[in-house]
Amino acid sequence: MLLCLTVMPDTLSAPSPLPYTDTKPVGAADFYTAINATFRFIAHRCGREGLLRYWQELGSQYYAPVSTRWRTGGLPAVAAYWRAFFAAEPGAEVEVSELADEVCVRVKVCPAIKHLRAQGREIVPFFCQHCHFVSEAIAAPADLTVRVQGGNGSCVQRFVKRGGVTESQRMEDIATAS
Amino acid sequence: MMGCYDFCGHYEWTFGWLEELGGHALVRDYWLEAISQDSQTHAEELIVNHGIEGMRSYWEHTLAEEAAEHVMTATDAVYRIDMQQCPSKGFLIQNGLQQHRDYCDHCMGWIGPLMQKAGFVVDHEHNHCGQCWWEMRKADDPTPPSLPGELSGNNDVRLRADWKTPHTDHYERATDPDDKTTAA
Repeated sequence: MLLCLTVMPDTLSAPSPLPYTDTKPVGAADFYTAINATFRFIAHRCGREGLLRYWQELGSQYYAPVSTRWRTGGLPAVAAYWRAFFAAEPGAEVEVSELADEVCVRVKVCPAIKHLRAQGREIVPFFCQHCHFVSEAIAAPADLTVRVQGGNGSCVQRFVKRGGVTESQRMEDIATAS
Repeated sequence: MMGCYDFCGHYEWTFGWLEELGGHALVRDYWLEAISQDSQTHAEELIVNHGIEGMRSYWEHTLAEEAAEHVMTATDAVYRIDMQQCPSKGFLIQNGLQQHRDYCDHCMGWIGPLMQKAGFVVDHEHNHCGQCWWEMRKADDPTPPSLPGELSGNNDVRLRADWKTPHTDHYERATDPDDKTTAA
């Protein structure tokens, strides 16, 4: 029996759904402690208003290439992004579903909360809110909106076409982290 | 969600955001309070309590996790790192990201105050292209920085043909991120 294997050169592989790529496949979990500390520092120095501005500007500026991909690629690009994103986050357990009018990201195990707890860190109580505010700033230019339910280790994030939902995000639907 | 995979990208973006908001003083405070005294408390615990042995433990773990191409050299008196390819700066270069004027300063921004607390001073030089070297000695040890190749042999980054491009920033017996001189 003859077995033929075809090896595709890297130049033919599909481009990453992520706009910024690294040479290693998965990030270093210790960086979650810096993300948590950054939120604490900005909230302490700039207040909640400053922290919201930080999240919104990070979403609209640093993550602008993500918005562009979502705008041109629609919901398939949103689903591809989150699959690739969580594949590169150590310890994440996530299910991404592409539906007719939305992409649903079910975070069964949040890698950040998991790592911060394992390290015995004091997690800022508003940690999970960044997922809404950063993602909303990314989604808006792509004519999408985001609803987050849950948090503190597991949550559901829905990326919905604007007009597909009437109710706004309720902050009480996002759990306090601890 | 903000992830750890592209952490260096949004971390560097944050320096620029803070500088625009509160100037260089706010960026310095961020490196000190958020990174050195909050995020990196595990490093502080190791280094303040165990000195050079603690440095070995900390950087062996963290540089392996970050897949850094580097060489560590340790004696009873000095701890040296030759960073051949910094994964952090490398990520920024690879992705064309630059929001802050010198990303590399953040290392001295958090390591410097930690070393001061642990009773060490730092000789350090970075070339803004992903290569740097560090030597930590006790503050009461007057030994000057090693000559190229003296401590780490052929692994010394200063022996690289591309070391001096385009210019390097130097720290001598420092613990402050602004205590540097620049050489073309």
